[in-house]
Amino acid sequence: MSDPMKAGKTALGGGKEYRTLLIFAVAVFIVPAWATFIPGDVLHMDIVNIMVFAGIYSCVVIGLNLLVGYAGQISLGHAAFFGVGAYTTAILCTRFSWFPTWLGVLAGVLLAGAIGWLVGVPVLRLKGHYLAMATLGLGEIAFILFTQLKWLTGGTIGVPQGLNVSVAEIPSLSVFGFRFDTDIKFFFLAWGIVVLLMLLNINIIKSRVGRGLRALHSSEVAADAMGVDTARYKTRVFVLSAMFAGLGGALFAHFQRYINPESFVFSVSILFITMVVVGGMGNLWGGIVGVIVLTFLPSVIQALPQWIPGIPESLTNFSNYSLVLYGILLILFMMFMPQGIAAGLSRGLAFTQKRGRRLRDRFEARKYEGH
Amino acid sequence: MAEERLLEIDNVTKLFGGLAALKEVSFTVSPGEIKAIIGPNGAGKTTLFDVLTGILRPTSGTVLLKGQGTVGLRPDQITAMGMIRTFQTIKLFEGMTVLENAMVGCHSRTGSGFLATGLRLPASRREEARIHEEAMGVLKDVGLERRALEVGTNLPYGQQRMLELARALASRPEILLLDEPAAGLNQYETGELSALLSRFRERGITILIVEHDMGLVMDISDEVVVLDYGEVIARGAPEVVQNDPKVIEAYLGIEAD
Repeated sequence: MSDPMKAGKTALGGGKEYRTLLIFAVAVFIVPAWATFIPGDVLHMDIVNIMVFAGIYSCVVIGLNLLVGYAGQISLGHAAFFGVGAYTTAILCTRFSWFPTWLGVLAGVLLAGAIGWLVGVPVLRLKGHYLAMATLGLGEIAFILFTQLKWLTGGTIGVPQGLNVSVAEIPSLSVFGFRFDTDIKFFFLAWGIVVLLMLLNINIIKSRVGRGLRALHSSEVAADAMGVDTARYKTRVFVLSAMFAGLGGALFAHFQRYINPESFVFSVSILFITMVVVGGMGNLWGGIVGVIVLTFLPSVIQALPQWIPGIPESLTNFSNYSLVLYGILLILFMMFMPQGIAAGLSRGLAFTQKRGRRLRDRFEARKYEGH
Repeated sequence: MAEERLLEIDNVTKLFGGLAALKEVSFTVSPGEIKAIIGPNGAGKTTLFDVLTGILRPTSGTVLLKGQGTVGLRPDQITAMGMIRTFQTIKLFEGMTVLENAMVGCHSRTGSGFLATGLRLPASRREEARIHEEAMGVLKDVGLERRALEVGTNLPYGQQRMLELARALASRPEILLLDEPAAGLNQYETGELSALLSRFRERGITILIVEHDMGLVMDISDEVVVLDYGEVIARGAPEVVQNDPKVIEAYLGIEAD
């Protein structure tokens, strides 16, 4: 760290971040291995199944963190893009049973990106509260369309039951003849994609583009003056985050095998933002930490009566108070841990490392005194 | 002598509601010169900079940079044309290191986008290496290379000013607009700044400087333009302007209030 020339060079290669990504990938991919060794009646939850949803949400949250945490632009309507991705592939693959599922996913990603661009160009002229309100409106409009365009989306019943189609469920995702039709297969697919998205994310953040995004977050006027085309950057990062959300949505549709508007309501947008904030805005790993914590939370609460007898029924019914809890979490984190869990964790880690080093130094010093 | 003109400001007026912040301001800047703009607070100096760099659009008038009109262009486009500014109140990028701040200054001369950087294409990696090298170069110019990895906003005030200068320099400007670069600096630091600006001039960088520190202005500028209530009330060599009765009145008038 003492020689800036050298340290700068390694930062250029981003060595540290790539090493962390590798460790992360290994840690995640061995989850199913140890999950099978824990008897189901100990945890009372299906770890692999929940982790698949965490992987799917991670796709959304990685993009949202890029938008909110790095570029400083809020979106309270990302469930809309999540929904567009899900409905696009779901409708294509059920209406036309011959339609390749991977192509459906691709179509979902592209359509989410296209809508992100159409919406982003006018909306991103707004700042702060106004942008928040506009994206909130976007989320609501999307939800109303999912519900009301019955001929297309199957209304409140959803796809495929609400549609007049021959298939009973959305087909499982199949790539080059390989079908991702079990939880464990989908687990590796979803987290493989998360690792790739993280790689893309790290590359962007550690580069010219990432510096441009962080610069416009800090001061749009100064970023403009230094030659950053802020309007274009904002639109592009919005489109990218919409595409990530669309990808998450498409995977969601093929994993759950049915969809209805309930999965894309306002509270889902809030859940995504809460994941970003709880994990850590503008922290590379923050989004994923937030996703894992908040995806497991409902299952943990539902499992509570099995662990602690005598817990009142009302407490275990998570959906009754999930919005309230997200709100409380948002407020508490904004007030007491604005950098989120991930930053708190890495600070704690650095602290213990430093402390360990100091103890060792003291030990060494004592050894010398002894001589 | 057919004077070459780098920057031509012609009849620029800027109205805020009914208030004229700039009234038919005209002057030119020749390549290689250091021109100072002085005037009491509220004379319209910063407004002029905002107009020149595209942050504000003038109500009327034209600005030509290297013979090309800049009115209506975005700030980043004007920066890419070779004119960059610093700010009166320091605007470093929060949470970014000294080096990263300087690297942002290279933005207008580089082009890798989301796809190229996301996939770490060879061209973007080469460009990244070049940006790093050049940013270290400008940090060396202002004597901040040893602090490259510190967070920019954690530097002492004087060094933050220097970093703003380095960041602007990283764009390889032909003309540098400095908005009160000596504000808040002590005498020693102002002396260093003066020497630095002279070095920039030797390298062929033209400088337009807004400054209250008269010592610095007299020391380095070839010509001074005096603004008062948005109007040019005097111009000429520093010694001449200093003794202009109109200028003395403008300044003393403020003091007498």
